[in-house]
Amino acid sequence: MEELQHRVDKIRAGRTGLDNQLIDELVAGRISRREFIRRGTVLGMSLGVLGFLAAACGGSSTPSSTATSAAGAVRKGGTMTVGIIAPSAAVNPLTVADEGGLAVLGQAGEYLTWSDDKLNLQPVLAESWSPNADGSVWTFKIRQGVTFNNGQPLKAEDVAKTFKTHSDPKGGSSALSAFAGVLKPAGVEVVDDQTVDFNLDAPNGNFPYLVSSDNYNTIILPANYDYAGKYESSFVGTGPWKMTSFKTGAEVVYGKNPSYWQSGSPNLDTVTLKFYADEQPRVLALQGKQLDVVSQFSASTGQPLFNNPGVKVLELRSVAHRQVHMRTDKEPFTDKRVRQAIGLLLDRPALVQGLLNGKGDLGNDSPFAPVFPSTDTSVAQRAKDVEKAKQLLAAAGKSSFTVTLATWNGYEIPLLAQTIKEAVQQVGGTINLNVTNPSTYYGSAVFGKSPWLDSTMGITDYGHRGVPNVFLSAPLTSAGPWNSAHFKNSGYDALVKEYVAAIDVQAQKAASKKIEELLLDESPVLFPYFHFHMSGTQTNVAGVEPTAMGHIRLTKTGFSG
Amino acid sequence: MGRFVLRRLGLAVLTLWLLATIVFVGAHVLPGDVGRRILGPFAAPEAVATLNHQLGADRPLAAQYWDWLSGAVRGDLGESLSYRVPVSSLLGSAVLNSLKLALVAFVLVVPLGILGGIAAGLFRGRAVDRIVTVGGLSATVVPEFVSGIVLILVFAVQLRWLPVTAQAPAGSGLGTQLRYLILPAIPLVFVLFGYIARITRAGMVEALEADYTRTAVLKGISQRTVIARHVLRNALLPTIAVVATQTGYLIGGLVVIEFIFNYQGLGQLTFQAAQKLDFPLLQGTVMVMGIVFLLTTLVADIGYSLLNPRIRYGRTE
Repeated sequence: MEELQHRVDKIRAGRTGLDNQLIDELVAGRISRREFIRRGTVLGMSLGVLGFLAAACGGSSTPSSTATSAAGAVRKGGTMTVGIIAPSAAVNPLTVADEGGLAVLGQAGEYLTWSDDKLNLQPVLAESWSPNADGSVWTFKIRQGVTFNNGQPLKAEDVAKTFKTHSDPKGGSSALSAFAGVLKPAGVEVVDDQTVDFNLDAPNGNFPYLVSSDNYNTIILPANYDYAGKYESSFVGTGPWKMTSFKTGAEVVYGKNPSYWQSGSPNLDTVTLKFYADEQPRVLALQGKQLDVVSQFSASTGQPLFNNPGVKVLELRSVAHRQVHMRTDKEPFTDKRVRQAIGLLLDRPALVQGLLNGKGDLGNDSPFAPVFPSTDTSVAQRAKDVEKAKQLLAAAGKSSFTVTLATWNGYEIPLLAQTIKEAVQQVGGTINLNVTNPSTYYGSAVFGKSPWLDSTMGITDYGHRGVPNVFLSAPLTSAGPWNSAHFKNSGYDALVKEYVAAIDVQAQKAASKKIEELLLDESPVLFPYFHFHMSGTQTNVAGVEPTAMGHIRLTKTGFSG
Repeated sequence: MGRFVLRRLGLAVLTLWLLATIVFVGAHVLPGDVGRRILGPFAAPEAVATLNHQLGADRPLAAQYWDWLSGAVRGDLGESLSYRVPVSSLLGSAVLNSLKLALVAFVLVVPLGILGGIAAGLFRGRAVDRIVTVGGLSATVVPEFVSGIVLILVFAVQLRWLPVTAQAPAGSGLGTQLRYLILPAIPLVFVLFGYIARITRAGMVEALEADYTRTAVLKGISQRTVIARHVLRNALLPTIAVVATQTGYLIGGLVVIEFIFNYQGLGQLTFQAAQKLDFPLLQGTVMVMGIVFLLTTLVADIGYSLLNPRIRYGRTE
C-alpha cells in the first residue's frame, strides 16, 4: 500500500497544477472514473497513467479497451474489403466534408490525437500535450522518428503548416468553422524541432479535440504539400496504409505502409475501401458476405443485421442528433411557453424505440448528450405531459395555431416531422409539413437564403462531435451562424463562454448545469434524441475501430481464427 | 437515304446544343452553389467563397457557358468540379458500364419479349396469351427497387448463387462480368418484357388479320411460311421502334438499379452531378445520353425504312 502511494506521489510530483487538480477531484469523489480518464486525456495525460491513478485513487478497474470490435487473437496477413459511404467529392484534406471522405483520409493520414469511441483522446502524432494555466496556450510535443509515406521525416513545421492552412480564412478549409474564434494562423508557432504552441484567441478547455480526428480535415501533411493539388494522386501521410490504386467513385486499395512508425502494424496486407452511394446495398453486401466490414448503417436500414448470427454489430453511443428549431422571433413561438409546450408533447422513449429501434439516448433539449462527461445528469429529464402542455398554451393564449415545419427527406427525419405534427394536433395546433431534399432545405446556408435558417420551424441533422462546443455556439448563441431559432440571449452567450473557457471538469459541469436549465426553460431548440453510430463486420473479423464521427481505423484489424 | 441521314444528323447537333443550354440554365436556377454543395451547409462562408473562386464558379454565367461550349466543340468536356478529374475520364468508364448492363438486359429481354408476343398473338385468347399479357403487365408495374432487392435477398444473400453487386472485380474475364450483371439485368427484363411482348402481340394480331396474310393462306402457302415471311416481317415493325426508344432508358436511366447494385454507370453519375451542381459533369452525362437517344432513334428509323419498302424518308412527296 505504501509502495502504491509512493508511486502516486511520484506521478503527481511530475504533473502540472491542472493535472493535480483533476486527481484531487477524483480522490474527493466529485468526478467519476470515466470523467477522470476522459478529462485526463484532454489535459495530455496518458491512458496508462490515468488507468493506474484511477485504480489507485478512485476505483479498481483499469481503462476499458478502446477497440470496439475486440482485437482478440488476430492472425497476420490477409485482404479485407470494407464498404464505406462513397466520398461525395474529390478526397482533398482541405475540402472533405462528408463521412465517406473522412473515412478515406484516416487511412493514409493521421492526426495529432485520436478521439476514440469513449471520447478519450489518444496520442498519435503528438506524444504529449498540456495547456498553460488558463487554457489559452496549448503546447504539443510532436512524435519523433516518424516519416511520411513519401520518405520525408515528420517535423514540427509540418504540423504548424497543416493548422495554419486550416485556420486561414482565405485557405478554403472545411475545418475553418471549427477554428472560428478559437485559432488564427498567426497563433500557430513552432517552438523547436519537436514542439508546437497553439496560442488561442481565447481560453479553451477542449482545444485538443480541435486537433484530433474529430476535426477530420486536419491530417498532418508535409509543409511542402500543395493543398491546391490532387491528394488522390499521392495519398501522402504518416498512416499505416499506403494507396496502391484509386478509382474515383468506386474504390481505393491500400497496401501496408512499410515505413509506418508503429512496428508490427498493421496486421492485414491489403485493404480495399469500396464506395457505396447508398446504404441499402452496403447492408445487403455484408449479408451476402461480399464485404468484411461495413463502416456505418442506420437503425432502420440495418434492421436485418441486428438479429443476424452471421454478423457482428458494433454499436457506439454518439452525440449525433436532430434539432427541432422554433423561431423565437416569429409567431407562435415568441412566447417561450409555446416552445416548452411543444417539448412536452414529445414522447421521447417512444421516439427512440419507434424511429431508432431503441438505438439512441434520450435528449433533454440541450446539446448536452448523456455521453458527454461534462453533462450534468441531475437536471430532470423532460417527459411527455400533454395536460401541462395544454395549460401552457392556454396561458400563452395559443390554444390553436398553424405553422409550417420545413425539413428534408432523409433517415428517419420525415417520420419525426410527422410524429411532431400528430403530437401537436392533440392540443389544437396545426403543423403543415414542407419536406424537401437536402439541397433545397439548406439552400445557400446563409440567413435569408436558406429554409434551414429562415423557416419558423424546422428539423436539422447534426453529426457527432467529441465535445459540445460547436453545438453550444453555432446554432444557439446570438451571433451563431447556424442559429435557425434566432435565439438571442446574452445570459446564454455568457454561459457558453464560461463553459468553453473552463479547464477543470467541475467548472465545466457547473456551467453545463446552468446551460441545460436555461435551455430547458427557453426551449428555442428541441433535442429529442441522440442516435447511436453502428457498424457491422463478419464474425471472423476483429480489431475494427470505428468512431461515431465516421472514421474506421483498421490498424489492429485482422481475421480471427 | 443519304440526305435523310445527313438531315437527321444536323438536327441531332442542334438538339444537343439546345439540351446543353437547357441543362446549363436549369443547373444555375437551382438554389445553392457548387462550393456550398461540396463543403456542406456547416462550412464557413469564406471557405465556400474561396472554393467557388478556385473552381471558377464565381465567374459570370456567360463566361462559364462560353468556356464550356468552346471546349465541347473541340472535344474537351472540362473538369468535374466535385471530383476534380477530367469529365471524359469519368464518362468513359460509366458509359462502358452502362453499355455492358444494357447489352445483357437487351440480350435477355428482346428475344423473350418478341417470342412471348408472337406466342400470345398466335394463340390469342388462350392461356399462353393471358400468361404473357397479364404476367408481363404485372412484372412491368413492379418497381425496379422492389424486384432488385427481392432478387438480391433470394439469389445473392440466401442462395449465394450470384453476387450482390453488379461491379465485377477489376480485370475480370467475360464470364465473371456476365455473372455479376445477370441479377441487375433481371429487374430490367421485368420492366421491359411486358412492353415489348404487348407491342409484338398487337403487331402479330394486326398482321394475322391483314389482307396480305389471308391472300397468302388462300394461295396455299404453309402456315409456317406465311408466319415467317409475311406476318413476322410486318408484325415486328412497331417492335423495332419500341426497342429503340428503350435503349436510351437502358443506358442512361437506370439510376435506381445502379444504386441498388452499387454499379458505377451513367445514371448514377448523372444523379450525383445534378446533386452537386457539378455543371461540366452534368453536361457531359446529358450529352452522352442525348447522343445515345438520337443515335438509337436514327438507327431505328433507318431499320424501319429498310424493313418497310413503303416508307422511304427523304423521298416522300
